[in-house]
Amino acid sequence: MRITAKSAGAVAFAAVSALALAACGGGGGGASEEAGEDNKPDKLTVAAWMDFPQELLDSFEEETGIEVVVNRFPDGASAQTVLRNGLSSDGAGLSDVHLVELDWWTEMMAVPEDWAKLPEVPDRWVDWKVAQGSVDGAITGYGTDIGPLAIAFNQDMLAGTGLATDPESFGELIGGDDATWQTFLDAGRQYVATSDNYFVDSLTNAFQAAINLLPDAFEDPESGLPYDLADNTEVKDLFMMFADAAEDDISAGIAIGHADWGAGFQNRQWASVVTPAWMTGIIAENADGVDGWRIASTFPEGGGNWGGSFFAVPSTGPNTAWAIELADYLTTPDAAIDWFNETGQFPSQLEAMSAPEIAEAENPFFGDQRVGQIYGDLAAAAGDAAAGGYRGENFAGIQTLVTDGIRLVESDSATAEQAWESVVADFDALGFETAD
Amino acid sequence: MSTRSAVPPDARRVGWGQRLSRWDIKVSPYLYVSPFFLLFAVFGAFPLLFNVVVAVHDWHRRAGMGDFVGLDNFTWVLRQPLFWRSLENTFSIFLWGAVPQLVLALLIAAVLDQNLRVRTFWRMSVLVPFVVMPVATAMIFGQVFGQFGLLVPNLHELGLLTGSDSPFFTDRLLSHMAIGSMVVFRWTGYNALIFLAAMQAVPRELYEASTVDGAGRLRQFFSVTLPSIRPTMIFVTLTMTIGGLQIFDEVRLYDGGGTGGGKGGADNQWTTVVLYLYELGFGDWQDRLGQAAAVGWIFAMIIAVFSLVNFLLTRSISSSRSRAPRVTRAQHRAAVARARAVAAASTRPEAAAAAAPGRDGPPPDAPVHDTDVHEGASR
Repeated sequence: MRITAKSAGAVAFAAVSALALAACGGGGGGASEEAGEDNKPDKLTVAAWMDFPQELLDSFEEETGIEVVVNRFPDGASAQTVLRNGLSSDGAGLSDVHLVELDWWTEMMAVPEDWAKLPEVPDRWVDWKVAQGSVDGAITGYGTDIGPLAIAFNQDMLAGTGLATDPESFGELIGGDDATWQTFLDAGRQYVATSDNYFVDSLTNAFQAAINLLPDAFEDPESGLPYDLADNTEVKDLFMMFADAAEDDISAGIAIGHADWGAGFQNRQWASVVTPAWMTGIIAENADGVDGWRIASTFPEGGGNWGGSFFAVPSTGPNTAWAIELADYLTTPDAAIDWFNETGQFPSQLEAMSAPEIAEAENPFFGDQRVGQIYGDLAAAAGDAAAGGYRGENFAGIQTLVTDGIRLVESDSATAEQAWESVVADFDALGFETAD
Repeated sequence: MSTRSAVPPDARRVGWGQRLSRWDIKVSPYLYVSPFFLLFAVFGAFPLLFNVVVAVHDWHRRAGMGDFVGLDNFTWVLRQPLFWRSLENTFSIFLWGAVPQLVLALLIAAVLDQNLRVRTFWRMSVLVPFVVMPVATAMIFGQVFGQFGLLVPNLHELGLLTGSDSPFFTDRLLSHMAIGSMVVFRWTGYNALIFLAAMQAVPRELYEASTVDGAGRLRQFFSVTLPSIRPTMIFVTLTMTIGGLQIFDEVRLYDGGGTGGGKGGADNQWTTVVLYLYELGFGDWQDRLGQAAAVGWIFAMIIAVFSLVNFLLTRSISSSRSRAPRVTRAQHRAAVARARAVAAASTRPEAAAAAAPGRDGPPPDAPVHDTDVHEGASR
């Protein structure tokens, strides 16, 4: 509680100082020149890994005469590798604008001078999105989407076990308004007792979501040093809770990104998936032809956030002024609505969140549910907690390490106790200087 | 060009032409070979030497060179359990890839060496898997061994597997076998062709001679073919060792390589040394270029030791072969002596009769083959 208040304060401070800086500086930031006719390039490149609404690119070219070329990567991980290598070699091979995922934002922003400072756009985003996209009070990334969490489930499969028949009864099954991770996992145990498939695809995603909700999961916000994992009871309790469930075989152990994930949907291997908004489009693609998938409006611990991205402009690029214009253009509320229609990703822009185009859109794959409305409500319910806790430079790495422990149990390679010991041993072997 | 043939009106032009041609002789050979050396200097020698600098420093991707740390990076690596685990994995995967590959390649080459119809078609066909990109091979095999692939559901049907998961992604040994099978798939045909080339160079008289001696096909394969292609086998084994220990694409993409993948499994069941090096230096978060460089050097040493063992092996085998001509030379001398004796005997018949039954060496034109066959059989 004490730390929650502190980190919330830090977030607020960052947001306020970002505002103040923008107000004083007039948005001059790092861009040394204004975007004008004399420095206008023929084309700009954008590196990303999701589909772009074509009309968005067309209208930018119509307006400015600049052709936008999308360097599309198969997944975030490969975009991350290219960006990382580009930054370490003075911008070689980088695009004019890069999409940066929240999970590796901290790593990419380790040297703030690598990135052009972006002018403030007042009242466009939810505050915490702006705070996440800022480094030392200066905005370096324009938010695209956020990842409010929901649970997608297959109501036909659940009806087969008699546990739930629709989104409301599924919500009740996993704990209703007071749902916790424990009630969610217990529902899973109940499900697998009578079904012939698994409850979730993988517990690693759910565990990651649970970690994200902790105010300071792995590192001390003051010193930035990792906590000694062996003494981190908060993480250990959470780990054991999920590892026990994994021992009870409630999950198939196949997470998104695994080669078998799509086949798992087609083979009806699991009845639910922890689904951030941006995953809805991916599920619709992979589970194409399988009926009965719905989105529940209940989420454990009051909701959370997984991922969401930013458009950022590497400062070494030759066209930073126009690249900033493009980043601005790609993150307008209108653009966010186009994107919602294209991929299902949920906007971080205030105006778009409440737009009827999103709230009233019916999703044919999810039985004509108003998916935008559900995610909007979940995002509102989660509030600032969705911003997640403190993420230092080793957050992503330690999270991978610990999540691998859950995977060990899922694959029956270790018991929960053994997995935790192996995680701690791996952590110790890295020889971090730890916070006390 | 006309300077040489025609009488030049201008003496200076002759001098220029001569100088040019002298330079041509002196300089151009170096120019001709320089592309390789330039490329090697830039992409081979420089990174090798620079790696030493990186290995003794605290080095990070973005921040670059940090403090000098001496051998700390090396001791850090040697203390990592994951380094030793990846070393075990590397050698295990190497064995699972190399041994079946050698046996299969030899068998295929032996079959291709026979008088087949449409010979060229068969020879070309064995090379087809080699044309497939390693990345594609890894993706396809990853699917085959996956839970919903070709193999696992059928093994369930047969009752050979319990539980619905694919053990090829959880069990250490099975994952090594699966990755080894990719290596076998890709390289067997290539090595079979190399073996085939060596087999075709084996003198046909050896087969004829052994047939006369009553050897069957099997005996010929083990006693004639295998001993004759031994140098090629050593070459193939060496290249296989170097290539196999450096395996990367196949392990990186075995599980699809997407989010959370590509690291060699949740328990690092199939992490190889090169993958470990990559993850340390260029992976998602560790950013330990100094330590990664140290891994590179340690692994280079290990491969060097391995190559030394192979070199000694090669030498001992080649020296055992060089004994054969020595014996023949002695026999040759004996034969010459006998021939002289015979020649002398033609004038003195009683001496020739004494020399002929005492033949202790084969006649001068056959012995090379004979000793080879016997040597091969005795091994």
